[in-house]
Amino acid sequence: MSYQEKRTLLSIIISILMLVSYSIYAFGKAGMEHINDLQFWARTILIFIGIGIVALIILQIVFHILMAISKAIRQKLKDDVVDEEEIGRSMRVETAEDEMDKMIEMKSNRFGYTIMGLGFMAGLIAIAFGASAVAMLNILFFSTWVGSFIEAVMQIRYYRRGV
Amino acid sequence: MPEKMEITNNIRTLRFFAHEMTQQELAEKAGVSRQTIIAVEAGKYAPSLELAFRIADAFGVPITEVFGYTKKGD
Repeated sequence: MSYQEKRTLLSIIISILMLVSYSIYAFGKAGMEHINDLQFWARTILIFIGIGIVALIILQIVFHILMAISKAIRQKLKDDVVDEEEIGRSMRVETAEDEMDKMIEMKSNRFGYTIMGLGFMAGLIAIAFGASAVAMLNILFFSTWVGSFIEAVMQIRYYRRGV
Repeated sequence: MPEKMEITNNIRTLRFFAHEMTQQELAEKAGVSRQTIIAVEAGKYAPSLELAFRIADAFGVPITEVFGYTKKGD
């Protein structure tokens, strides 16, 4: 698995964990006590989005560090010497974002946007049929999550099968 | 309806004859990631014209010696 695939897999894992945590919190006791409180739901969603972004950044930094350490260990075992310049060069070559990465991002973004658009429509339809604003907020949130999940899965598919 | 064509390449062979150049070395010379070179070599990604020229330049050969454009299945 390439660096880009591993990085995308990491973001999938984090987003699944965030969604599960959000579902447990929001649809548990706390959510039931504020079922029609739009402010509560808006704040909760914002907090979980913030936590998710911070967690992703921290874990990607840790992942990057672990990758550099594993390269150093492999080099030490192979050549009995650790050449920092060589490791830095190797890291740059592995992690460089180039035209293929941009093409894959563009192609997979389409899926994300389509699903988010469908989610928005679903939210509007729900409101039109009498659902609450809280329901629409959750529909939008879940469709955004599903959109980014599908986008990440498509990215891995493109990296594996080609684009 | 145009015939189905595909882009082929001789990168693996050229790397072998270029003192067994590694994919990483080629990636560095071409200014892309190793993953992209792997994908181009395996025919999973058709490089842009600019990248195709950079790869040819890395081998010091004309682009037509690196890439071909043939009918699918040939």
